[in-house]
Amino acid sequence: MKPPPFQYAAPTSVAEAVELLAAHADDDARTLAGGQSLVPLMNFRLAQPGYLVDLGRIEELTRIRTDGDTLVIGAMVRQSDAEHAPEVALRAPLLAEALGYVAHPPVRNSGTVGGSIAHADPAAELPAVALALDAELVVVGPQGTRTVRAADFFVGPFATAIEAGEILTEVRFPRRDGGQSFVEFARTHGNFALVGVASVIETDGATIARASIAMSGVAPVPVRATAAEETLAGSAPDDASIRAAVDAAVAGLSPSGDAHGSAETRTDIARSYLRRGIELALTRAQDRR
Amino acid sequence: MQRHEVTLTVNGRTSTVSVEPRKLLVDVLREDLGLSGAHIGCEHGVCGTCTVLRDGRSIRSCTTFAVQVDGAEIRTVEGLADGAELHPLQDEFWDKQGLQCGFCTPGMLMRACEIVEQKPDVSREEVREGIASNLCRCTGYQFITDAVCAAAARMHSGSSETSGAQA
Amino acid sequence: MTTTDRPAAPPVRTHKEDRTWVGRSIRRVEDPKFLRGRGGYIGDMTVPGMLYAAVLRSPHAHAVIAGIDVVEALAAPGVHAVITGEQAAELCDPLPDFGPNPAAHTWRCLAVDKVRYVGEGVAVVVADSRYLAEDALALIEVEYEPLPAVVDPERALEDGAPLVHDDLGSNCAYERTFDFGDVERDFAEADVIVTDRLRWHRSGGQPLETVGAVADFDHATGALTVHTNSLSFTSYLFMVAGTMKIPANKLDIRPVPAGGSFGSKLFATKPAVIAGMCSRQVGRPVQYLEDRVDNMSNCDHHGSDRVYDVRLAVMRDGTIRGVDIDTVEDYGAYIQFGVGHHGNALAQVVGPYAMTSVRYRVRAALTNKNQQGAYRGFGSEVNNWMLEQMVDKAARELDLDPVELRRRNFIREFPHFIPTGNVYDSGDYDAVLDKALELSEYKRWRIEQAKAREEGRCIGIGLITAQERSVFSATEFWFWFDEPGAPVTSMPESVTLKVDATGGITATLYSCAFWGNSPETMVAQLVAEEFDCDPHDVSIVYQGSKNGLPATGPGGSRTTVMLAGAVEGATAKIKAKALRAAAHLLEANPDDLEWVDGGYQVKGVPEQRKSLADIAVMLHLFKHSFPEDMESGLEDSKVFDHPYTTMPSADRTDLGVFYPFMGHACHVPVVEVDLETGSVSFLAYAAVHDCGTLVNPRSLAGHIVGGTAQGIGTALYEEFVYDDDGQLLTSSFLDYLIPSAMEVPELRIAHHETPSPYTLHGIKGGGEGGRMMAPAAINVAVNDALAHLGVRVTELPITPDRLRAAIRAAESARGRE
Repeated sequence: MKPPPFQYAAPTSVAEAVELLAAHADDDARTLAGGQSLVPLMNFRLAQPGYLVDLGRIEELTRIRTDGDTLVIGAMVRQSDAEHAPEVALRAPLLAEALGYVAHPPVRNSGTVGGSIAHADPAAELPAVALALDAELVVVGPQGTRTVRAADFFVGPFATAIEAGEILTEVRFPRRDGGQSFVEFARTHGNFALVGVASVIETDGATIARASIAMSGVAPVPVRATAAEETLAGSAPDDASIRAAVDAAVAGLSPSGDAHGSAETRTDIARSYLRRGIELALTRAQDRR
Repeated sequence: MQRHEVTLTVNGRTSTVSVEPRKLLVDVLREDLGLSGAHIGCEHGVCGTCTVLRDGRSIRSCTTFAVQVDGAEIRTVEGLADGAELHPLQDEFWDKQGLQCGFCTPGMLMRACEIVEQKPDVSREEVREGIASNLCRCTGYQFITDAVCAAAARMHSGSSETSGAQA
Repeated sequence: MTTTDRPAAPPVRTHKEDRTWVGRSIRRVEDPKFLRGRGGYIGDMTVPGMLYAAVLRSPHAHAVIAGIDVVEALAAPGVHAVITGEQAAELCDPLPDFGPNPAAHTWRCLAVDKVRYVGEGVAVVVADSRYLAEDALALIEVEYEPLPAVVDPERALEDGAPLVHDDLGSNCAYERTFDFGDVERDFAEADVIVTDRLRWHRSGGQPLETVGAVADFDHATGALTVHTNSLSFTSYLFMVAGTMKIPANKLDIRPVPAGGSFGSKLFATKPAVIAGMCSRQVGRPVQYLEDRVDNMSNCDHHGSDRVYDVRLAVMRDGTIRGVDIDTVEDYGAYIQFGVGHHGNALAQVVGPYAMTSVRYRVRAALTNKNQQGAYRGFGSEVNNWMLEQMVDKAARELDLDPVELRRRNFIREFPHFIPTGNVYDSGDYDAVLDKALELSEYKRWRIEQAKAREEGRCIGIGLITAQERSVFSATEFWFWFDEPGAPVTSMPESVTLKVDATGGITATLYSCAFWGNSPETMVAQLVAEEFDCDPHDVSIVYQGSKNGLPATGPGGSRTTVMLAGAVEGATAKIKAKALRAAAHLLEANPDDLEWVDGGYQVKGVPEQRKSLADIAVMLHLFKHSFPEDMESGLEDSKVFDHPYTTMPSADRTDLGVFYPFMGHACHVPVVEVDLETGSVSFLAYAAVHDCGTLVNPRSLAGHIVGGTAQGIGTALYEEFVYDDDGQLLTSSFLDYLIPSAMEVPELRIAHHETPSPYTLHGIKGGGEGGRMMAPAAINVAVNDALAHLGVRVTELPITPDRLRAAIRAAESARGRE
């Protein structure tokens, strides 16, 4: 299980990286972030890029900053750094909580926030978080910089709106009030989840004002539980509302089965974890008030 | 194939090696630097036998290209003991029989090293969750947990005594 | 069974009471090198000029190999050789095989003509590095003509199923029904016959280190030296020479420490043969070390994979009369150890219960999967699981307390011959049960369980009492046949002890170096016990096979008992010589001397004394101080044959004694089932084991915890899943789920010691017990948690998928009511 040969460069700026990707497009050039998904795939020889552009030396991509109300995470921020960053805990606790479920600390010490999102594994945590928080993904390419909404970013399993030659540089999380929660069900600690649920719930007095819920593991891409969101909005924060929301969300699910769970079991688990996630977010929303 | 110069400071000693970019850090440590303590168990980042510290933090050296860590400080199991004197973690692993076949041990020790250095007053529950990153097929983890907790207590209190000498 | 004439048992021993070292949890003598990262595993070994081999694996479960083109691979950078299966068949004979009919289910190091499972090797590349070897693998073009695969063992036995081996003419490699005792009477007289169908899916040892070998063939001498992490069955390594087509006295297999085995490196000859073949071909040392995918898909050591139809004959008062077992075992594409796994089952088929008859029908099915080998328990763990599920079901059907039902049936007089003919040497099952009830706080948990149920929570308590056979004898591999091909009766173990001129002791071992057990610590403690020295001062070395004495190695929990016997025998020889020397030096009658504190002294006159060092220096350097017939030096060996094996009866209604040193255990896991997700978590876990006299209690406790962790994997997480086309869906650690520290609970462990009457110090083996108990106990616990809902799980592992399916089925059944 040794990786196939490739050419390698480690640029120190985004511009240089974009140039390298363009120059080596014929070699199937790819970016290398933390490598925690790509290198195993290469060891299995399931990925065989001819040229790797290592983003690990680009200082500008390793910063966590705020832009007004928006939390901006450089694509190359290590997952463990984001997990423990005070700004993240304050402004996007959902992200911090979800990061705790990404494999194990030694993987998070190398893996990056941008790498996970760009990899777009349908079972992964961070794409669901980006979707729930309506994150914006900043992509730089030969044509310049563009911003893609999370809702438009995940186009298929392991496929995103990033075009050939482009690099994900930043993930922008707009400020969200209310309670946030991330819950997931994995068969063993740190393994890929069968189902993950990212929830953000805002309450307004005696009613739920707004809910944003995204799920991983139940479709080829992370999906918003729109039916649940609509059911919750404007309803009372009680068990009946939650039950109705969960029923509404589950009715729209048609996950595919695999060795770890049939479609039916995944649906069962999704039902359970949707409820747990919503309850937790709601409790936190009420605690905040 | 294009080769790259990679400079690593491993256990305090700086070396430069010329490697293909595809060469995994674990293979550079084992083959180019003669440090065979980091083991190869799965080569897909799950088992943790290859765990080493990069700039004080644990990483999987089987899913890391050596070129990615050019210039880094690497610590491996070979750097734990001070000559004849074992590190408290090593000594407690011995005392508590925190190993059987020994294959996961170097990775487990380095992960444990990170855990106790990050949090000297780590709890037993935190140790368990912490070492869940590394698989052990022999021990069932209980005596490893015993050993890490004992070592943490020793390091925290500054005592050099084995907590529960058996021999 | 009283009519059977049985050969006499070995003499009953009197055990030393004031032991110094045996029974102490000393630090293991093996450990310092591992703690320092200097384990010296096979992957750490480098030899000047060494090349690296990699094997091309079949992507098909069943296909004709229509052609292989290696031209491009041969021309690739750094490549020294490419050997196809067809070429390998000319270079090497078939691999050592103890199966029923090796000529008809022939097993080779690389597939010839057709592949029979995903992962089977079709060619091997030798190159300057493993990286380059794998590059070249990608350039080999194999033309496959896919054939229909057969994956389900029962389907494999039906007419018209695709044939795994055309020469066999069937996928049934073995079938026989055995009756032990009066089965018909017991079932006719039974008040209740409890029946069930049970399914145990395959998992495997999956040590973190894969199997590997470094081979060096010397064309000048024709000698092949192989270093490998698999060196059990040392006495059978001549078979490897046969495969390599070299004289047995030209083969030397040298052991290196194994990074875990759990049985899966028991007799893993294929990597050694591949490395040897490659080395001979290129004339340089070659390393072949499996990678993880090789090991998962092509290790030849998947574990048991059984379907059971079982009937249990029970009286209304709970007395169990007999058991009727009909099992189909899915062996995969080959069957290297025959149905020895069922010999293991038959060694303790009735568990700790005094039933009087057993019917055992076994059918061995061949399918398009990697073949079975050994995995901790070797098939006996499956029998434990099956029997305990049946006993538990009997308790429910008879509305009896499951603990009392078990206790009612306990065997209490020893030695006890079970219906199959095997003997249980000793035991005290009541004592173990009592200790386990207390340790587990069983009564408290029953109260907690009732409280939790009121809150809608599902807590289950899984008490099981089961056997832990130890020290196998080889008859279990051949008593299946009326005319076995090659009967053998003893699986010896050998030790050489050398006392050097300073009195320092070195012990030489002749079987597998080390695979995570503690052969060095055990031998050091046993030697220290004999010679009154510090075990950490005993030096332990390993000899290769060429200069070795007969040996077997770990397997069937035999190492400690067998090494103890060998140490005792070698010690006796050395002490006899030392006594004679001391008597000569002290000018005393040997009868007047006694061994005290590391030397011989005149009884009652401690100052008239020669220490072992005094004696040793004289024997080494001053031969002429002694009588003419005394040789220089102080070194001797013992080949210790299996101490208690008897022959089966001609009609096989009695299989004789083949697994005599019978341990016992009681496991009590407390689990909680999450009904919504079908996941199982542990609230507590207690285990009490009786493995006879303990040598190193902490080492044994380590094996219990570790074995239980593996049993948790078997019960809840681990499975080699093949789909209907024979594709292996769980071929990495992402999908084959090994429990982490978060899946394994803290165990409460206690030991009970019922010494064996027949072994040194009363030791029994104990290396496999955790895994022999945990799957049974966890299944019972899960069923206990869900019984009130009408859910009973009969299939392992209990995955969320299986559990949810069972819960859904029960819910819809209740809905219909």
